[in-house]
Amino acid sequence: METEELKNILAAYDTKLDKKLSLNVASLKNINLNKSEKNTQAILKYRIVEIVVFSLLALFIGNYIANNWSHTHLVVSGVIVGFFTLIALSGSIGQVALLNQIDFSKPIVDIRKKIEFVNTHGLLFVKLMFLSTPIWWSYVVVGSDYLFNIDLYSNMNADFVLKYLVINSLLIIPLIWFLCKLNYKNLHIKWVRKTIGFFTGLKTMKALEFLNDIEDFKN
Amino acid sequence: MELSKKEQFIKTIDEHKKIIYKIVNSYCPNKDDRKDLEQEIIIHLWNSFDKYDSNYKYSTWMYRIALNVAISFYRKEKKWSLKNDFYNEESIFRIEEDNSEEEAQLDYHLKLLQEFIHNLNELNKALMLLYLEEKSYEEIAEILGITKTNVATKISRIKLKLKKEFKNI
Repeated sequence: METEELKNILAAYDTKLDKKLSLNVASLKNINLNKSEKNTQAILKYRIVEIVVFSLLALFIGNYIANNWSHTHLVVSGVIVGFFTLIALSGSIGQVALLNQIDFSKPIVDIRKKIEFVNTHGLLFVKLMFLSTPIWWSYVVVGSDYLFNIDLYSNMNADFVLKYLVINSLLIIPLIWFLCKLNYKNLHIKWVRKTIGFFTGLKTMKALEFLNDIEDFKN
Repeated sequence: MELSKKEQFIKTIDEHKKIIYKIVNSYCPNKDDRKDLEQEIIIHLWNSFDKYDSNYKYSTWMYRIALNVAISFYRKEKKWSLKNDFYNEESIFRIEEDNSEEEAQLDYHLKLLQEFIHNLNELNKALMLLYLEEKSYEEIAEILGITKTNVATKISRIKLKLKKEFKNI
């Protein structure tokens, strides 16, 4: 069968629909047309909660740094924790901006890409978690100081601090390479798929796969 | 007398009902889900009705919304089963069935074509539908958001695929 014949079949189908398809007006009138799409609204609410939480955290860290300005190690730890909080905050703000740009009357490829970027939000937190690995002591130093008023740094052995700094500095470059790999463009690499799948779950994985399909489709 | 907004909307849906009907049938292999999808499309069309941009053809605007909703619906693991909330049990579209031989043959060919379409991914499915609807490359590019050249390349690939798939029929 040639494509022209297929088109003839569709033309016959069109004629059939012209004759036999009708609108059930009573049923249409019964739909609550003013109901908005619940799913987008729910995601938007979650992201707004995230913005509020991260903003409060950023304010708290700012205040903490100001109050401990004379203690360099607490300021450095506070700045590191604050930096990660700001990345998370900007990620959530970006998500709200994306959600507000989702308009189904716009071209399909653009909208699908925005929707799938919203669905891959979990990956940002996984990346932040990995990125925090070399500086995890900053969280402990700030937490123990604030919650229990214990200054861990002053009780640390200078040798331990030096070893910690050297080992973790060495981790930074491989870690950045690793995080760059955790991208939808690298899903063909087995360990990337497994890592993302393990830490983010099926929904994020499917969204990343679809982002790949979109890229293929655009090219 | 001037029509109310809702009456205008119903009139527009009636004029373009085939678009929704075909998209729903192409994206929903499961008959039970079709009512949900057609109603979801109607709700999105209603919510965007005031924002219709007259720079585009009404059908272009409608295709974009209906296809975007259908792709979202298709990609959702858990379907929007909110029947008790705002969905009707009845379908919005009615089609008269006919048992003639001619009709049976048409239905057979349509079934084969729909099976072929079901096996395409979400975006190629949209492209295929628009191609079979004989939309111009320019309109397809506008609906999908890709270049005209890209549309032409993809359509030539689809033609080959179609030829291969239906060569023995």
